[in-house]
Amino acid sequence: MPMLEVSDVHTYYGNIHALNGISISVEKGEIVTLIGGNGAGKTTTLRSIVGLLKPRQGHIVLDGEDLTQYKTHEIVNKGVAMVPEGRGIFARLTVTENLDMGAYSRKDQKGIQQDLDRVYTIFPRLKERRTQVGGTLSGGEQQMLAIGRALMTHPRLMLLDEPSMGLAPLLVESIFETIRSINKEGTTVLLVEQNALMALSIADRGYVVQTGRIVLQDKAAALRKNEMVRKAYLGEE
Amino acid sequence: MTRHIRNGINAGIIFGIVTIFLFMIGFTTTISDLLGQLLRNGSSIAVMGFTPGIFDLLVFLFFIGMWAGISGAKKTPDKIDTWGTVLLSSGIAGLLHGILVGGLALLVGSLLQAGVTMTVYFAQLLPDAIHLFLIGLNATSAGSFYVIFFLITGLIGGVVARTIRYGSWRQNLTAWSKNKWQAFTAWPQYQRIRHNKLNLFVVYGLLILIVFLLPQVLGQYWNYTVGTVGIYVLLGLGLNIVVGLAGMLDLGYVAFFAIGAYTVALLTAPAPHHLMWNFWVTVPIGILLAAFAGIVLGIPVLRLRGDYLAIVTLGFGQIIAVLLHSDELTAFTGGPRGVAAVGGPSLFGISLGTPEGFVYLILLAVILVIFVTIRLRNSRVGRAWEAIREDETVARAMGINTWSHKLLAFAIGASFAGLGGVIFASRNQFTGPEDYNLMVSFNVLASVIVGGMGSIPGVIGGAFTLKGLPEVLRELENYRVLAFGALLVVMMLIRPEGLLPTSRRKMEIKELHDPDGKEAGETPGGKS
Repeated sequence: MPMLEVSDVHTYYGNIHALNGISISVEKGEIVTLIGGNGAGKTTTLRSIVGLLKPRQGHIVLDGEDLTQYKTHEIVNKGVAMVPEGRGIFARLTVTENLDMGAYSRKDQKGIQQDLDRVYTIFPRLKERRTQVGGTLSGGEQQMLAIGRALMTHPRLMLLDEPSMGLAPLLVESIFETIRSINKEGTTVLLVEQNALMALSIADRGYVVQTGRIVLQDKAAALRKNEMVRKAYLGEE
Repeated sequence: MTRHIRNGINAGIIFGIVTIFLFMIGFTTTISDLLGQLLRNGSSIAVMGFTPGIFDLLVFLFFIGMWAGISGAKKTPDKIDTWGTVLLSSGIAGLLHGILVGGLALLVGSLLQAGVTMTVYFAQLLPDAIHLFLIGLNATSAGSFYVIFFLITGLIGGVVARTIRYGSWRQNLTAWSKNKWQAFTAWPQYQRIRHNKLNLFVVYGLLILIVFLLPQVLGQYWNYTVGTVGIYVLLGLGLNIVVGLAGMLDLGYVAFFAIGAYTVALLTAPAPHHLMWNFWVTVPIGILLAAFAGIVLGIPVLRLRGDYLAIVTLGFGQIIAVLLHSDELTAFTGGPRGVAAVGGPSLFGISLGTPEGFVYLILLAVILVIFVTIRLRNSRVGRAWEAIREDETVARAMGINTWSHKLLAFAIGASFAGLGGVIFASRNQFTGPEDYNLMVSFNVLASVIVGGMGSIPGVIGGAFTLKGLPEVLRELENYRVLAFGALLVVMMLIRPEGLLPTSRRKMEIKELHDPDGKEAGETPGGKS
């Protein structure tokens, strides 16, 4: 049984039919990526999973439990962490306070401390800047902070929304490297990206989303060779 | 060079307009009376050949003219402010200032001579005020007098500006005071006192003692004023939770104040219900009802943010105000005439309903509320509020139940206002719908913002500024609101983070505006 099973989900913004029957599944320990153009419905899918948007139809099942009946904070407490698009760090709080916020719903002081040490090991840069307020960090550091904060919830499943946005190519590579190593340590990852090349290079499997539908799904390596993907998303002729 | 001329022209026009405005609203007459009182106890003996009123006005205009000169001669970025350029800028500023004001003198003078009644258009342009403004001359001579007068005062301003800016006394003074301060803090006795907990307790103990003895010394008037400030501190601390901590802009805050006040009024007064309950019983009821009202308002507006939230809460405040004014409800709320003979507190048969008694009661309430606020702020609830204020969506993604925490903020904020209302109505022994208009909401909000959002000392300082300062400015009579408004604008320009901001806000404003901040070579944070 897959860890996360999204089946035939329809989500609306008012009258706009944003997701037109999305179905994806994520196995435990995988990195799965959703690629697609602007407005395809990638972010909407993530927001539906975490409960920030309520699907009108369809089911989202995490380890046998239907998430659509829960509120966002309850879903987060079930082990789903979200790294929002545009990073969404708390600009006025310091790095440490941002990370503490990630551990908001946890009470195991020991575990929290362990995770904090782990985040600082993964991102030594954050440790250097731990007393600085989030708004003064550079874009790359903010992305590190957003990922670190998601790790602080000690998630089973981590949802990442456009981690490459607005970052220099070198930084994008290092961020993706980090995502892969976090995955190796046992966190399942669902990754939404416009930078299809980078996403497919670390993912196990991928889905191509177009106008609220899944139009293609395959192993990441196969998608990279696919004619349509290469033309539309990898910019190759 | 062109820059100096432009500075001069700008300052001249601005000061010209300001002086004209001051005259049009009749401020020149008031200030001349006021200076007459201050300088000469209002005696009417001629000074240096001038009629006293005119002399006073000229003293005032002298400073305004000088200010125009100083402002015209402001520093230019390339720092080539020689005596020549400074006098050029201030001279131009003074001349323009003079031409504008002189032109006005010519205009109103001629109109007056032609027998036009200007009070029809400008209520303050009484013949007396115009005669004063013309300093006893005819229109033409007064006009030319002002041109020369402001040119000279402007030049004096230029000289002053140059002297202040390039004199070495300034550096000397700062260096001297810095030295003295360092010497003082390095002083062993100071160090010992500073780092000994016991001594700190003694100092705080003395402070508290002074605070508790103060009402005995203050007269009835000052006790009343301090009490009013205290009630605004209560309101400010409550709104601080909603606006400063949870980040929800609530403009209908006065409603909860009114609910607290009417609860105690209706339950303790002989009319309209003749319940005559004990004051102490009504205190928790008032607080609970206000908190309940906070939740009732909170539920429908939970989904709203920012501007929309502000408008809906504004409407809620108005609904309460309209209900209190309503004739239909007179049998229940006392209607437009309000409720009289509201009960006061007593303890073991001793009435605390004296002005001093209320000051103590308010002090106790303030201390209690500060304690609750500090405990809440440093708890998980406080952190959740902070996250919601920063970014509600992300707060939810952190596992925070935004729904319940927002309601809690509304309820607690409202309960503080309810407590304030209970004390307010009981102290006045009367409550009427006029006490709960929109201005209360705005004043409380202003005191939170002026003091520094989220900061407890800030709210207290803000309440003193907003309710205490107008009392101090009472001398200025009609113009105190004007002076007060100007003061608020100046204050927000000079200290955008508030009077006594939280250390976090200070840091954040400093860091975000510091161009030399330690920024790495990457693109600085995108939208966040």
